[in-house]
Amino acid sequence: MFQNRAEALALALPAALFAAAVFIAPVVILLSDGFRAPGGGWTISAYTEFFSSSLNQAVFLRTLKLGVLVTIVAAVIGYAAAFAIVSLEPGKKGKVTGLIVLPLMISPVARTYAWIVILGRTGIVNQAFQALGISEAPLRILFSETAIFIGLLQLFLPLMIISLISALENMPKDAIPAARVLGANWFQVFWKVILPLTKEGVVIGGTLVFTGCLTAYITPAILGGSKVLMLETLLYQQVTVSNNFVAASVIALILIVMSFAANILLKRVATARNKTMRNTKGTAQ
Amino acid sequence: MSDPNFLTLENLTLAYGDTVAVKDLNLTIGKGELVAFLGPSGCGKTTTMRAIAGLLSPASGHVKLDGADITRVSANKRNVGLMFQSYALFPHLSVYENVAFGLRLKKTPAAELDKRVRAGITSVGLSDYADRKPGELSGGQQQRVALARSMVMEPKVLLLDEPLSNLDARLRLDMRSELQRVQKETGVTMIFVTHDQGEALSLADRIVVMKRGAIEQIGSPEDIYNRPTSAFVADFVGFENIFELSDGRLKTPKGPVELSGPVPIAAGLAWRPRMVTLGSGPFQGTVRGASFAGNSREYLLDTPLGPIKAEVDAALPPHELGAELAFDLPVGTAAQLSTFG
Amino acid sequence: MMARNLFIPITLGLVITFLIGPFLIIVAASFSAGETLAFPPQGFSLRWIAKVFTVESFRDSFYMSMFLAIGGTLAALILGIPASYALSRYKLPGAETIRTIVSAPIIVPGIIVGLSLLRYIVVPFQVGITLALFLAHTALILPYAVRVVSASLGNLRSDIEEAAVLLGSSRLGAFFRVVLPNIRGGIMSAFILGFVTSFNQVPVSLFLSGPGVRTLPVDMIAYMEIVFDPSVAALSALLAFMSIGIVFLAERFLGFSRYV
Ligand SMILES: Nc1ncnc2c1ncn2[C@@H]1O[C@H](COP(=O)(O)OP(=O)(O)O)[C@@H](O)[C@H]1O
Ligand SMILES: [Mg+2]
Repeated sequence: MFQNRAEALALALPAALFAAAVFIAPVVILLSDGFRAPGGGWTISAYTEFFSSSLNQAVFLRTLKLGVLVTIVAAVIGYAAAFAIVSLEPGKKGKVTGLIVLPLMISPVARTYAWIVILGRTGIVNQAFQALGISEAPLRILFSETAIFIGLLQLFLPLMIISLISALENMPKDAIPAARVLGANWFQVFWKVILPLTKEGVVIGGTLVFTGCLTAYITPAILGGSKVLMLETLLYQQVTVSNNFVAASVIALILIVMSFAANILLKRVATARNKTMRNTKGTAQ
Repeated sequence: MSDPNFLTLENLTLAYGDTVAVKDLNLTIGKGELVAFLGPSGCGKTTTMRAIAGLLSPASGHVKLDGADITRVSANKRNVGLMFQSYALFPHLSVYENVAFGLRLKKTPAAELDKRVRAGITSVGLSDYADRKPGELSGGQQQRVALARSMVMEPKVLLLDEPLSNLDARLRLDMRSELQRVQKETGVTMIFVTHDQGEALSLADRIVVMKRGAIEQIGSPEDIYNRPTSAFVADFVGFENIFELSDGRLKTPKGPVELSGPVPIAAGLAWRPRMVTLGSGPFQGTVRGASFAGNSREYLLDTPLGPIKAEVDAALPPHELGAELAFDLPVGTAAQLSTFG
Repeated sequence: MMARNLFIPITLGLVITFLIGPFLIIVAASFSAGETLAFPPQGFSLRWIAKVFTVESFRDSFYMSMFLAIGGTLAALILGIPASYALSRYKLPGAETIRTIVSAPIIVPGIIVGLSLLRYIVVPFQVGITLALFLAHTALILPYAVRVVSASLGNLRSDIEEAAVLLGSSRLGAFFRVVLPNIRGGIMSAFILGFVTSFNQVPVSLFLSGPGVRTLPVDMIAYMEIVFDPSVAALSALLAFMSIGIVFLAERFLGFSRYV
């Protein structure tokens, strides 16, 4: 560790000042707009107004719902996939992990666009449904919550799987056989051994997925259309269609608060579990 | 010719922010001396070395080298070599380029540079490894590269931070004789850090024992080994039976105890286990533990003076656990401690 | 035991199909000979791939995206490398604050970054859209640059700089002689991560578009709202192959994943 303070500041300050000027200052001003009263002074009337609209409420709840749902489903699939991957032999493991990571390199526009081909009126799913006689006329899957859900899940599932792979790999090797020997069934093994030992991985993965869902713009824009809005697309509409910058500021703060809240909440969950674990250990001894 | 005040540390105080690591240290080292800094981990040995090298500027005090005050001279102009505990080799450069690094910066002419670098590499026995990267060498070999890299610069002082502690037992002996050889051949002034008394005793001309950022005692290996002046040093060099004196009597957990014979004026007395007379004497103890150590046997006695460790020739018949034994702490052989605590 | 043996291939098969399948469909659709986007493709032709290269706005926005990805990443590295070095090697008061500030753009939704830049930098200071995009992309990449370079510095022992100084090098010289060569892989990885992130970025650029100034993904979104032929699929496929190719080479030669 070098001690020279002036030198350190000279190295670090340009980046910090740049981020502060180009990013933090404008964002903070934008966020403060939502609290400005028209005649000067401060008010939260923009927020009460925002939440009094049933459309806005629906969008807010939809965003929350999709975020939570995608995170939970990603965790469930993620565990299965990560578990399958870590039980592969090393050479294969690397290749499969590569395939899982691959989509992250592909432009989200391209990845989302693919779902139009699959879920559209003449898309693969509708063709299959009609061929199998499940439905007569093409179903409207695109521009629905389902479509957004599928798109978001596909977009962020890799992040969950990667987090869980490293968590499972860091787990003590004998934990699962030990629990099996003690007579636990697979369900118990999961709840009592795997989940507590990998909770950090789920929390990291969960935070990434949930925050990703909040900040994703392309997926709701392309797969939700102009009717099924999420907060991000609502923000865009407020600015481009209604020129309502106050509402945009309100939505921006809501998004930021939601992702911070999720961060804190998930961290809490992780540490709370930790405590109960320690307590049971304490009584067992 | 040899300058007894070659390196002088005057009232040196060293701090990291608000934490003072070394306080008001004074030390003089002669040219060509081999000095050991001995002390427990965290006592400020590395910190002192970093100040000599110029990597840490002192909060107060002076460093003088070869007649010049170098306190404000920056580290790259001091010509002080430092061999890091971790060797700090440059991972992207070959052994040759690591050793050549400093000479290249000095713009040494190509022919001379090559000659000196090859001589340096050969002198540490690595001529077959000149093109390897540090990552392809064993720990012992890496350390030799670090030694050669410092030595080709012909530093005025070579500082070595725990040069032996990362090596296994056999390599440690090799490196010990290597360091002695280098020092003898070049006559470089050398300071090395260790927390192992055996290393300090066997290698150094002079030992500086440090404790919590200050010098506790300076002396020859014989001085330190036989005549520790404080309880701390006595304990560090293996005096296991250490007592404070008050009014000519030993302070023990169970009250003052008279010794036989005239007691010197000192703050305390200390005996190695081997100095304890077992089988006769004014005191009585019960054998609580016994261990066989090849040439000798060690006994742990429960006595009115507290626990006493005694060591006797293994050829003598062993004592059973629980046996009652007479013993003595002979005043004549005891180390006299001038400070206690 | 049987159940377990089937569990692994079935799970992985489904997950990989879900993740990669759509991409393969896009690739297949872009070779279609038909007029509309459909799968399975009607016949085989290269006409839609050829068409991508003739759409003028694609070409302009491709150059724009390239400029932003390369220029923004370089700028982020020029700011980020010294900052990472200071944060990992110096005892710096407020180091955590500085780290939070430079990492902040990653936390805030991109659309908000774009909008606030438009409202409070572009409009009041009369900044051109291209410059604004450049600033926005630099800010966006900065957190990645700092994170990857920091990780790479963290893998490098800091005492080699001191060793270089004791051998006569200046502090700055030590940085260039012994630090930089050893974090080259990390810097290249940061560059690639920054490039891919910037190139694929949409929300930040959404509000920052003006006459003739648009990034490629934003242009694609606009285009596919009007035109429903396989050319967007073809472009998507091409871009995907470009990103994958870059990352594949990076992994091959740099061990990219060590730093990310
Ligand atoms: N970079 C540092 N920052 C703060 N305190 C330090 C630093 N390096 C060492 N110290 C403190 O200074 C004291 C002396 O450390 P050091 O010189 O490394 O000890 P030694 O080498 O004798 O083991 C210790 O108490 C240590 O905690
Ligand atoms: Mg040390």
